[in-house]
Amino acid sequence: MNFLSLLGIEFKKIRRSKILFILNIATIILWLPSVFNADLNFQMQAEGISPESNFLIQGLMGMAWFMFPASMVVCTVLLNMRERSNKGILKMLALPINTAKLCLAKFIVLLSLGAFQILMTITMYFISAVVVSQTQNYNFILQPFFVFKEAALIFASAIPMLALFWLLSVCFQTPIFSIGIGLASIVPSVLMINTKLWFAYPMAYPFFVITAEYGRLASNLTTAQVELFPWIPVAIGITLLCLFISCLRFGKFERR
Amino acid sequence: MSFGLEFKKVKRTGFMLAFLSGGVLAAIVPILNMLVRSENYVGFDDSPVQILMNANWQMMSMLNILLVVASACLVYHIEYTDNAIQRMCTLPIKESKIFFGKVALMAVMCLVILLMEAAALAFCSYYWFELSTDIWMEVIKSFAYALLLIFPAVLCSLVIASACRNMWVSLGVGVVCVFIATMIPTKNFILSLFPFALPFQILSGTTENILRNYMIAAVIEILILGIVEVLFLKVRRSFE
Repeated sequence: MNFLSLLGIEFKKIRRSKILFILNIATIILWLPSVFNADLNFQMQAEGISPESNFLIQGLMGMAWFMFPASMVVCTVLLNMRERSNKGILKMLALPINTAKLCLAKFIVLLSLGAFQILMTITMYFISAVVVSQTQNYNFILQPFFVFKEAALIFASAIPMLALFWLLSVCFQTPIFSIGIGLASIVPSVLMINTKLWFAYPMAYPFFVITAEYGRLASNLTTAQVELFPWIPVAIGITLLCLFISCLRFGKFERR
Repeated sequence: MSFGLEFKKVKRTGFMLAFLSGGVLAAIVPILNMLVRSENYVGFDDSPVQILMNANWQMMSMLNILLVVASACLVYHIEYTDNAIQRMCTLPIKESKIFFGKVALMAVMCLVILLMEAAALAFCSYYWFELSTDIWMEVIKSFAYALLLIFPAVLCSLVIASACRNMWVSLGVGVVCVFIATMIPTKNFILSLFPFALPFQILSGTTENILRNYMIAAVIEILILGIVEVLFLKVRRSFE
């Protein structure tokens, strides 16, 4: 079976899981406080950031610090439970399919769910920006190119984190540990971005990137800027290592 | 009987270990914080407990709530996988009794993790601040208050977990609720009555009037959530 048809099957498996609904609800809730407190954006001009940029960046920071990583932990639970309940994984393993391919196909599904949530966040951003522009009589809508660039930055920086979450869910048979470690690792990311070792902590990448963008846009505010070295090699290393181990470990427990 | 049974059910799920390691993790937070930057906290007029709580409680309670949400999902997940709940429903016990057994189990575990955190806080105030006799009372009061305020979150996450047969749905809804709670300002009384936002409250430095209001609100929420669950189970049973 080629990789694309395997991927198609994996997408079919999560069709009736209601996960898109949950991911959507989270993005809607994300923008509600920003819409209600839109006038606060004008006060932030003291920091040298325009109200419209502040509106976008504050929302994205809210997403990158907790909502997005936590939703991705939920997605890994979904991908795992779909197979493990009713022993679906045993049937999959009985087929003449390379387990590493199966594992990677599931990881791609996880990436797509992440991309979907970020896209939904951006869609909700444009809707709420239109609403706020009406209520505040000020144009809050930014250039779509700029908005999509920020979204792409968050997504790209989240890939090592997703690989790590995927590794956790493959390695731990008892769901409480993969969920617990995943969720607990999100909490200290606020502290990690202020240390020099932030590049060794994948859970902090999306939040660090968006905080750096905030510092770049606000002329009176200095935040730590992204330094590509040693971040990029470390990030690629972590991603490849996590994917390699999860491909090795995938289905090992069921085949004992 | 129900509590003992629930205790046995979670024995091999990693529930206990998860709670204990979660408690240790949250207890390490104030100690680490003091180790790294004690100069930011020592030498103020406020009581040590108040300083420590203000500096660390946000993160500690966040860890507690995430632990509660994840373990609530787990205790119902073991019922719904392989349809164990159907067997439980054929027994001559009320379905709501299973729920309250689970609540009791979670309450005991919350007590355990809060005791660990209280011990860590007491250690910090002993090691880094001048220890006075009334610190013990303040620590005990603070954590009794925290225990009362975490109960609505425990009940709410168990209600969600019992309503959803799929673990990811209950976890997803729980995570969204925690996310809402993180966005609620702790000073706003009405908004922080949201069950998942209550555990972020701190006893020290709050006026007695507000404390009483929060405690009454927590008790009312516990009662309401209990009644809602009983009614929900009755209605669901009649449609099955």
